Amino acid sequence: MPKDYVWMFVMGGVLSAFVITMSLVFLFKAIKRGKEIGLDSKKIKAAIKSSAVFSIVPSIPIVIGIGIMMNYLGLAIPWVRMTVIGALQYEIIAMDQIEITKAAIITEPMVATALTIMTISILSGPIFNLLFYKRLQNKLVDLEKNNKKLLDTITGSLLGGILAGLASYIIIAAFFTGNNTGGEELAAAANGYITLITLGISMVVMAICGALILKLKWKWLENYALPITILVAMGAAYALTFAPAFA
Amino acid sequence: MKKSNTLSFTDNLHRSGRIFTAVCLVLMCLVPVIYCLSAGVTPMWGSIGMAFSFILTYVAIGLIEAVSYAPILGVGGQYLSFLTGNISNLRLPCAINAQNIAKTKQGSEEQEIISTIAIAVSGIVTTIIIGIGIIPLAIWGADIVEVLKPVSPYVIPAIFGGLGLVLIARYLKLTAIPFAIMLVIALITFLLGKDLGQATMLSLGMGVSLISGFITYKIDRKKTEKAAK
Repeated sequence: MPKDYVWMFVMGGVLSAFVITMSLVFLFKAIKRGKEIGLDSKKIKAAIKSSAVFSIVPSIPIVIGIGIMMNYLGLAIPWVRMTVIGALQYEIIAMDQIEITKAAIITEPMVATALTIMTISILSGPIFNLLFYKRLQNKLVDLEKNNKKLLDTITGSLLGGILAGLASYIIIAAFFTGNNTGGEELAAAANGYITLITLGISMVVMAICGALILKLKWKWLENYALPITILVAMGAAYALTFAPAFA
Repeated sequence: MKKSNTLSFTDNLHRSGRIFTAVCLVLMCLVPVIYCLSAGVTPMWGSIGMAFSFILTYVAIGLIEAVSYAPILGVGGQYLSFLTGNISNLRLPCAINAQNIAKTKQGSEEQEIISTIAIAVSGIVTTIIIGIGIIPLAIWGADIVEVLKPVSPYVIPAIFGGLGLVLIARYLKLTAIPFAIMLVIALITFLLGKDLGQATMLSLGMGVSLISGFITYKIDRKKTEKAAK
């Protein structure tokens, strides 16, 4: 494992504190505004609680991602990268542009190069937000005033597009992968059949939760339906990884 | 509900968002500089040049994502998400989940507030979990990863199975056609032995869905105009 430097841990600490401060500032601004417009405090509390519970399970693979990357970059760099902007699938492809995962010996210039590539490649989104997002948002506000139906169509289409893009990729990749795991993308490291079963279980559990909320009027379940769904589906996936049929 | 002053609230979010984004960009760029100074090395510029096409692709994907997510995440959510990352697998599902629970109206200020709260809380929770998570990694090294590693690739199907049902129920008309088209695209690319990857498929999906949604919108409008006549 490459050497870690104290200053990189200091940067990790600074960036973690920065993210938490920024999130708290936005959180308090939103709560304050909610109170000003008379938004039900129960809705605000429910949003906080459900989002906190929801975020726990999907955050764990991010830590696992740090564990995977630490073999090639040390511990501090993956911590820094996954705290701001980074997403595991992207980071692994980015750092491997210099084939660091295949190198017999990882040198410090190699780490510096991988880190530079990872940094440069991901800056365009925030730079866009800094320079152009306000203008785009103003156009969206104008569109909402003049043609709300079109804006709703755009929003719905984008959400539908995310679902279409991800679901089609997951399903087709899973069929082509089958029991053969491995590949550059983390998604390709999955067993295709387990992926499909996980997807199916997630849909079934959500459908059951929906039915319980509607038929038995279990309102409390609304806050926990998605976290429960994710937990059950991931628990099943974990158990299936030990099944001889998927070895 | 009292009358809202949307403009000043969103302007306020823009101002804070831009300040935080500017500071964060500086901090992000400092990371490789500090590493190089600490290790006493310089990056291999030739290798960075060789990665130019990759960098260009991700710069383009970053721009497409920033434009595409703008109508969905809301002002606060947009600034927060693009600095905390993990948008499609964590921030966006978290915001949609909170919006569903609060039953907010599309495009309302209520929705903006709930999305901002959800994404801010999500960012805090993730940062804390990562901070706690690196302690066992520092003590036991990558050995601990081996125990949990097998389950990592299944997070996205676990999220999008359940969330997909919710989205399909809400946007069935807008989702069906792009989903069918994307299935065909994915099938063809895999048959040709090409794996486009999640990021590209996601951007492509949004593009296809926008075109399909716009055509549906036009057809609906023509029908409404005809009916009015």
